[in-house]
Amino acid sequence: MKTQYKIALFLIVANTLILIVFGGSVYYFLYNYSYTDFYKRLATRASITAKYNFDTDNKNAESIKIIREQHLEKLSNEKEHISLINSFNDLKTFAEKSALPLNFIKEIYTNGKGNLQIGNTFYSGTKYKAGTNVYMVIISAENYYATHHLALLKNIILVGLFFIIFITISLSFYFSKHIFDPIRNITYKVKKISTDNIHLRLEENEKDNEISQLILTFNNLFNRLETAFETQKNFISNASHEFGTPLTSIIGEADVALMKERSPAEYQETLHSILSQAERLNQISQSLLFLAQTGYRENRLNFEILRTDEIIWQAKEIIDKLIPKNKIQIDFSLLPENPFKLKVSGNKQLLTLAFVNVLTNACKYSNNKNVLVSIASSNHQVIIEIKDQGIGIPASELQFIYDPFFRASNTHQFEGYGIGLPLTRNIIKIHNGLLLVSSEVNKGTTVQIKIPLIQYSEMKF
Amino acid sequence: MAKTILIPVDFTPESLNTLKLALKENSISGVNVILMYSEYLTDSITDLLFYSADRIIESHITPDFEETISILKNRYETDIKTIKIELFHGYNINSFKNFIEAKRIDAIYIPKKYTLKLKKNGFDPIPFIKKSGLPVQEMEWVSNFFNS
Repeated sequence: MKTQYKIALFLIVANTLILIVFGGSVYYFLYNYSYTDFYKRLATRASITAKYNFDTDNKNAESIKIIREQHLEKLSNEKEHISLINSFNDLKTFAEKSALPLNFIKEIYTNGKGNLQIGNTFYSGTKYKAGTNVYMVIISAENYYATHHLALLKNIILVGLFFIIFITISLSFYFSKHIFDPIRNITYKVKKISTDNIHLRLEENEKDNEISQLILTFNNLFNRLETAFETQKNFISNASHEFGTPLTSIIGEADVALMKERSPAEYQETLHSILSQAERLNQISQSLLFLAQTGYRENRLNFEILRTDEIIWQAKEIIDKLIPKNKIQIDFSLLPENPFKLKVSGNKQLLTLAFVNVLTNACKYSNNKNVLVSIASSNHQVIIEIKDQGIGIPASELQFIYDPFFRASNTHQFEGYGIGLPLTRNIIKIHNGLLLVSSEVNKGTTVQIKIPLIQYSEMKF
Repeated sequence: MAKTILIPVDFTPESLNTLKLALKENSISGVNVILMYSEYLTDSITDLLFYSADRIIESHITPDFEETISILKNRYETDIKTIKIELFHGYNINSFKNFIEAKRIDAIYIPKKYTLKLKKNGFDPIPFIKKSGLPVQEMEWVSNFFNS
């Protein structure tokens, strides 16, 4: 069932129920009221009749009779039954004379009053004492109001109900059909956007409602998709460029060498140059492979319990071999007293590689100025901050630093091919950590790496 | 005997540098740290009716600040007994003296060059601290919380 029909059906059922309850209760309460009210009117008439018939004060009785005739409207089919009751036999004869059930007469005699309905005729009786005599007055009449007015009311309510239900149904269908117009519109437009025209966007309207939020969400999604597409395109062009340069130089060298006979020394030189280019190629392809491998989370990595400070020392040892002139200082002033607060679960090779990458960058882009590494640990994570005084990264390019092969515009004089940072980020991601880079051009870059600790409770054996 | 020291803070990790240096330079074992933030009390009666110090602190505190406190707690695990954040609402020097007496503070450490970054309604307690008559040490530091 379409959502549209669901909404329509819900609206119709809900409205009809409300209407029926409303109309029904109006009818019910009025019906009840008309009966009690009618009995009251009959009772009043009975007591008045008793008064002017049996009152000892004749003058008074006469005036009451006049008032009654002038002011109390005659009810339809109104009849009076009056009788003097002196003994039980009188009750019987009265019942026979007025053709009323004996029980009703008895009830009036014992209770002083009573009500009865036979068909459309209503009876109300009262007992009246005048001196030593006991009289009984019963007034009967037909309830014109109940039979006619209530029937009319019933008709009005029923006809109204049908009209309103008809209007509700048509409104519900109209409403449910058109409330989804904007959404259908969006579906239609989004369907038109494919990989070929991903630059297209939905029209954003000014209103701040759910629909415009949906449109905004879609547009943001498209923005991210477009960026991802761009990155992929850039990646391919960058990768072919990176692979192409050494290949061109290999081909060129070989071509030149083969043009004529050369001395062995010249061949050797050519071969050396070719070898170094091939090594570079090899390095790039290996690191690319590594990047691809770390990009998947679900690969079989050996995770063990590691001490972060040890990993940093190891990374430093590796850097000492690679860049002997480095000036890395490790600051332990915030090292926690409790060694458990340094333990993380991770893969040793990968984490070391990540730190080596960051540290190499810090040394390389600062021409071996001071690099300060500090380790601290909160209750949930180890925080390693690596601060250099290098050339920094322009603020506008910070968002691209994790794209493979991306190199900031101010790095031309440094060697590298832009795989280190994406690789580091992949590694930190595998360890559920965070990599934060903040930088200021010509002042330096600060890299913060946060890796979650092994929770203490898990380590208590 | 355990000492109680007071550090004025502004809920930035930088302001905790004072505490870091204080702990570094005076290796005192068993210290109770009170981090004090000073703020004028609100004038609104309804706000005062529902006053809660915890709620005010909660509205100011940042995850970074909490993390920095936990770093310091881990670093000086044996030295620090407790770290508490307290609000000071006083207007004059006497109320500050009362505050010090009530909290049984033995020493105060303040930053030498750093000026506290005040939020709305906050005020700088350093003038009160200097006139309080307690031993006050000025700590000099320049950079951010790490690498100093």
